[in-house]
Parts: sequence; structure tokens; C-alpha cells
Amino acid sequence: MPIRLAQGSAAHWALRALGVLLVAYVVLTPAFRDLTPSQLGELTDIAVLALAALSLNLLIGFTGQISIGHSAFFGVGAYTLAILVGDHDWSPGWTYPVTAVVCFVVGALVGIPALRLKGLYLALVTLALAQIFPALVRKFDDLTGGSQGIGGLRYDAPAWTGLEAGRRGRSEWLYWLAIGVFFIGYLLVRNLVKSRVGRAMIAVRDNSTAASVMGVHVAATKTIAFGLSASLAGMAGCTFALRQTQATPDNVNFTIVGAIVFLVIMVVGGAGSLMGPLVGAFVYYRGDQFTREIPTKSWLPESFRDFLQGRPNLATIVFAATLIILMFVAPSGLVGLGKRIGARFVVVQPAPPGHHAPMASDSPSALVAEGDDAPPPPPGDETVSQPG
Amino acid sequence: MERFLQYFFDGLSQGSIYALLALGLVIIYRGSGYLNFAQGEMAMLSAFIAWWYEGMGLSPWLAVGVAAVTAFVLAMGVERFIIRPIGHRSPFAVVVASIGLFLGINALAPFLWKVTIPEAVAPLFPNDPTDFIRVGGAEWREQNIGVLLVLGIISFVLYVVFQRTRFGLAMRAVASNPESSPLVGIRTGQVLAVSWGMAAAVGAIGGAMVASLRGNVDPSMMLAIFFAATAAATLGGYDSLLGAVVGGIALGVFENMVAGYQPDVIGQELKGVVSLLVILVVLLVKPSGLFGSARVERV
Repeated sequence: MPIRLAQGSAAHWALRALGVLLVAYVVLTPAFRDLTPSQLGELTDIAVLALAALSLNLLIGFTGQISIGHSAFFGVGAYTLAILVGDHDWSPGWTYPVTAVVCFVVGALVGIPALRLKGLYLALVTLALAQIFPALVRKFDDLTGGSQGIGGLRYDAPAWTGLEAGRRGRSEWLYWLAIGVFFIGYLLVRNLVKSRVGRAMIAVRDNSTAASVMGVHVAATKTIAFGLSASLAGMAGCTFALRQTQATPDNVNFTIVGAIVFLVIMVVGGAGSLMGPLVGAFVYYRGDQFTREIPTKSWLPESFRDFLQGRPNLATIVFAATLIILMFVAPSGLVGLGKRIGARFVVVQPAPPGHHAPMASDSPSALVAEGDDAPPPPPGDETVSQPG
Repeated sequence: MERFLQYFFDGLSQGSIYALLALGLVIIYRGSGYLNFAQGEMAMLSAFIAWWYEGMGLSPWLAVGVAAVTAFVLAMGVERFIIRPIGHRSPFAVVVASIGLFLGINALAPFLWKVTIPEAVAPLFPNDPTDFIRVGGAEWREQNIGVLLVLGIISFVLYVVFQRTRFGLAMRAVASNPESSPLVGIRTGQVLAVSWGMAAAVGAIGGAMVASLRGNVDPSMMLAIFFAATAAATLGGYDSLLGAVVGGIALGVFENMVAGYQPDVIGQELKGVVSLLVILVVLLVKPSGLFGSARVERV
């Protein structure tokens, strides 16, 4: 029998606090452990991927609009920063709001044809977008530097942070920047999906015809979702450009592969889950690192290592196979899987409407309304009516 | 006129390849309503399989034939053991799984055969610099004629299978009404598995054509072609075989004309833009494509 916790009870809050502390511990590790710049860089990459996947989650997970072209928005963000910093000597920090606006506009423009398209067709348009982005970058080489790209993108830690100058301070600052931007994006998405607009998005996802009948402005909702999603992806691209110190059209994250990686991270974490992108990015990044090193592991049998000798792409194959298996065992991603397993041990029961949370926790039997044993409804509560 | 004909002939063979891939997309879409993102990569793997058979001593054409049969069997397995069980859970999961197949197959070919550079394959058609027919001053290369002929033969075979056989009738029934066709005794599962097999076999022949024109096989050889094929299928209509052929040829010719006459604006590198524009215009003006049937949704 699982332990039952009522929503809003002290035990429920303790459980939540534990979860938040756990995430905070992982995220804030660099503050109290001395990490090398390359370790910080890896964590920065994870935060960047998580933000890109979060942007996709807003669009696919919450609004139900498939995009396989977010690498283009990611790239637009990276190039906006690169052009402003590299050619116009802006401070990188100021490029973030500009990027957010630029990508919002680009995303909303892409979203306009999306108003008439559904599922498959939208996937096609966005796929084509991802396909042509690197070609466009090469074509407009006056602006983007063509195949050479734009280099020398650095963001020295501002003096007020107290971080040391040079490479170490820069990588630490970049990590905090990436985490900070991710956190802002997370809060934005979290509050958005719990607001009126967010409920409209979810309604559009679940049944757009019904949503429009209920008075949801489907076109506006889709356009906003596309714009905001592109905005977040663009800001992830900004941090990525700083991390790479350059923007070149050959970078895989600006190609269709990047778009697929973002999508996969979102799916691995869990579509429609707020924590999913962070979990997915972490698992993807570490899993990718691990499988890349498999051929050199000494615990493998000699014959297997010989077999792997000279064979490229093992990591991608393992990754693709894992993705397909995941679709069998947990289509709702790792967070969904975790919730399902967790539900065997702890069940959080929602408070009944109108009841105050502490009361519900005092008498959980009220939730199942077992006839005479149930306590009388609190005074002034009209939503709960007990059979006489 | 000479220049026009030259672009036209080159476009015809390019378009034939788009059409072969688009046919596979349409066959699968008609049956199950899925867009198979792995279509191009399945064709790429088949081209590698043909190259492998060729290396074992088969003649080039026989190798292509056996590779097409292999692809048929493999794709039936993919449908039966991956796509169908996942499809029972959620359609979005199928999109993700076929993207997984796209990634996995793309990585599999170099892994299986330890390939790091493009591997040379024997041409399927006469390929000397002098092997061409002169039409109105333009050179129509024999290999380009060959690819067009292959498309013609495949289209004819598919027409016969779909319109003149009992199994084709069952396939059309599943395409037009998946819920009721089992009620009249059609084994839907079998039909879908064979659809995937046929799509893969047609794709395998497309892959072999690409390999023959390029003179080599390479893991990235089908990427751009796959995107163009999605545009071709959109142009023709996703549920029309005729549409796939016409759409493929039209896109190939149009793309080559645009790239040829506007080398500075579009040129070879921005050919993909043509596909994107075609997709956008078709979807905004006539979403069902040239030959597709408009879907009526009941609310």
C-alpha cells in the first residue's frame, strides 16, 4: 500500500521541499565545490540544452504543435548575439533581451502558416526551416561571416560578481548565466501554463475545435506559443554562442541534428513536464558522454572491444535504440516514468474543492466520502454536498 | 532553348529520385497516416546493402534487386515490431520513434561496414562522358534517361499492384477506411506491414539510383533528397501515388530551373529554399496537394 499524502499537508510540503533542495543542490554545486573550467563547461552545456528543450516543451508538450526546426531559432539567437557582440561591440548581457524580441518575431512569423497547419504538415515546415538555416547563414555572408562564422565571443565576468578574471572566472560566470536564464525561462513557462493563456494552450493541444468553441482564440494562442518558444530557444542559443566563443554554420546544434537533439531531450525528460527538460538534458548529456567512452572501457570483454575497433557512431546507435525502447516503456518520458514508479510508494491526493488543505489532511477519509463517517462540510461551503 | 532543355533533362532525373522517395512516403502515409522520417535513411541503408552484395560478387543490377528484397523484409519487421506496438500508445510516440530510426539508421551504416569515406559503387547505366543523346542541342545523358525509365517501370508496377490485384484492393480499403476494413475480412496488420515493405523496396531502388548517379555511397547521401521528397509528396498530395510521381518530377524540374537561371540568388546551396517555399505555398493555397483528397473532419 502506498503512503497517502493529502495535497497541501505538512508532509506534502516536506516532500516538495526535499525535491527543491535536491535540485538546488545539483544546480548550485559549483558554488561550494571547486570545479575545473571544463567541468563547468559541461554543466553549462547541460543548462543550454535544458533551456532549448524547455522551449520545445512549451510548444509541443503544452500547445501540441510539433516543431522539428528549433535549431533554426537556436541559431538565430546565437547569430543575433554574435553579430551584436562581434560586429557592434555590445556587451553580451544586453543582447539577451534583444534576442528574445528578435526570436519572438521570427517565431511568430513561422507560426503564422502554422495557424492553418496541423501535426504532420507543421512538422514538415519546421523541418524544412531547420534544413535551410545553415544554407541561409552561408548565403548572407556579409552579415554572418559565411562559412567562417563570427568568432571572439567572450563574456568576462562583470566586476560586481567578484569572480576572478580570465578563463576560470569566465566559465563560472557563463555557468551562472546559463542557469539563471534557464531558471527565468522555467519560471516563465511554469507560471504561463498555470495562467489563463496556458490553460488555453493546453485546450488547443487537447482539442483545438473544442477550445475554439469554448472561446479560446486558437490562432493567437498558437502564435504566442510559437513566439515565446522561439524566444527561449534563441536565448539558449545566445549562451551556446558564448560557450563556443563563436558562431559557425557548421555547428551541429544549428543543423537539423540539433533540432532532433532538442526534441529528443524533451521527449526523454517528458513532454508536458516542467522538470522534464532538465532531467532529459542531464541524462542525454551524461549518457552521450558515457557511450562515447564505451570502446575504451577496460571492463568490456576483449573480443567485444576488438569488434568495436574502428566502428564510428556507437553512441548515436545506443542513443537511438534507447529512444525507441523508451517509447515502448515510457512514452511520457523519464519524469512520467518516475511519477509512475513513485506512485507505488507515495500518493498525493488532491484536496477536494472548497476544503481547506489542513482539514483534508486531518481526515483523508473525507476524500472518499464514506457515507456517515464523513465529516460535515465546513460552513459556507456550497460546492460539497453530502447525501442525507 | 538549349539551356532550358539542359536544365529540364537534369531536373527530370533529379525529380525521378524525389518521386521514388515520395512514393514510399505516400504508400506508408496512405496506410497508417504516419510520416516516415526514416524513409530517406532506409533508402541509404539499402544502397549500402546493395554495395555490400556487389562487393560479394553479385552483378550491380542483381545486387540492387536483392537489396530491395532485403529492405522489404527489414521494413516489414520495423513496422511489426516497432511502429505498430508504439502506435497503440500514442501517435506522437511514433513520430519520435521514426526520428529515432532516422538517427539510428544514419549511424548504423558506417558502424556496420566501418565506412568513414564515401565508397565507390559501379554505375548502373552507361556513364562515359560520351553516353548521351543530343536533343535540341542539349545533352540528355543516358543515365538520366535510365533513372526516368526506372521510375516509369516502378510506377507501372505500383499501378498494377494497387489497381489490379486483390491485395492492392485491400490496401486501398485500409487507406480509405481503416476501421471498417477488418470487418470485411481484411487483415489490416498484414496490409500495413506490406505497405512498409513496399515503401522500403521502392526507396531502396531510389537509393540505388542516387548511388549510381553519384558513383558512391555515403551516409549523408539521402538527407537533402528526403527533405525534397517530403516537399514533392506535399505538392502531389500525401495520399496520392500519382501525386507523388508528378510532384517529384515537377519539383525536380522547377528546382533545377530556379537554381540554373538564378545562380546568384538561389544557386546550388539554397536549393532547399525552393522545397520550403513549395511546401509553404501548397499548404497555404491547397493543403491537400494537387491530387490528394481533402480531408473532411467531423466535429
